[in-house]
Amino acid sequence: MANVLKKTTGLTGLAVAANPHHTLSSLYNKILRAVQKMPQEAAYRKYTEEIVAQKLKIVQSTPVVKDLEKSINCGQAEELIVQAENELLLARKMLGWKPWEPLVKRAPAKQWDWPPAKIEQPKLE
Amino acid sequence: MAAFLRTISSSLRTGLVGKTIQPSTTLSAARFSTKAEEPAGETRPTVRKPDEVARSHLTDFGRYVAECLPKYVQKVQLTSGDELEVLIAPDGVVPVLQFLKDHHNSQFANLVDIAGLDIPSRENRFEVVYNLLSLRYNSRIRVKTYTDELTPLDSAYGVFKAADWYEREIWDMYGVFFANHPDLRRILTDYGFEGHPQRRDFPLSGYVELRYDDEKKRVVCEPLELAQEFRKFDLSAPWEQFPNFRNANPPSETIETKK
Repeated sequence: MANVLKKTTGLTGLAVAANPHHTLSSLYNKILRAVQKMPQEAAYRKYTEEIVAQKLKIVQSTPVVKDLEKSINCGQAEELIVQAENELLLARKMLGWKPWEPLVKRAPAKQWDWPPAKIEQPKLE
Repeated sequence: MAAFLRTISSSLRTGLVGKTIQPSTTLSAARFSTKAEEPAGETRPTVRKPDEVARSHLTDFGRYVAECLPKYVQKVQLTSGDELEVLIAPDGVVPVLQFLKDHHNSQFANLVDIAGLDIPSRENRFEVVYNLLSLRYNSRIRVKTYTDELTPLDSAYGVFKAADWYEREIWDMYGVFFANHPDLRRILTDYGFEGHPQRRDFPLSGYVELRYDDEKKRVVCEPLELAQEFRKFDLSAPWEQFPNFRNANPPSETIETKK
């Protein structure tokens, strides 16, 4: 058992997770449930579902944590948990913001022009 | 005549070389060895070449952000060849920053800096620029938005704690108001300072001057009095400054996004 669980993540303030498979799959399922409340054609929903479903599949198919970390390739299992928590909070906030709607406000003309002041024609006096 | 001179000089040279080599073989050997160690001339160009792979990744990511957040993203562009900029509507500061911070594919968890710009000729004279860094994917992104003197921007403090002092700095220097900031007050200027010094219409000399008053035995603060009349110089030249760069590359390239 001592060989199975690693002693430290090597990152300050990040404790070793006791059962990352359980935590990760429950978080991923929560994200999927939150995302399903969005409209079908929202790009954020489409991409997040794709990413999370792929990760969930890997979590379910690889029982060894090291292999899991290697095949997801996005840091240690504890970091994956943090990322999943962030994504879950983001998905819930996105439900309020509704970023899939059309543009709220067009930029005023010449707002994003650079350089801002064109050099005038040479002055002749 | 010239040919004759050349033959003489060449014979002289061979003679001289033959003489000098003979007496001190050790010295000349040392000299040869030092010559061999001299580095070859630098042939690589000093200009950094654009990395096409990085550019295509950034372009794709810019399109990805614009597709995920069509409500807020107005324009996506690459500047200086390989710097991705997302130009957003002022309402979308918090959603866009939160998305870039928390989404699996971006993870821009570090707020490097918030900068301000003042361009008085524009309808919305202030630009606010957020520089983000993703340690996970080793990449950077810049988020730009705009506002005027009266419209408050949403504070990014809820997303990045680092925004606290940066926003105070913008408030101090430009007078851009950030709504929902926990502690918005001056940070760089002196106690009792009035005005926003980085605005283009703030005079270089300021409005007040401080001096020690001998009679009152203390430092007094008085409105500035200039000994000389204010003079306005016309600094624009009648000729073109950089004709070689008339057709230079544009400073930024727009990335086409679906609308």
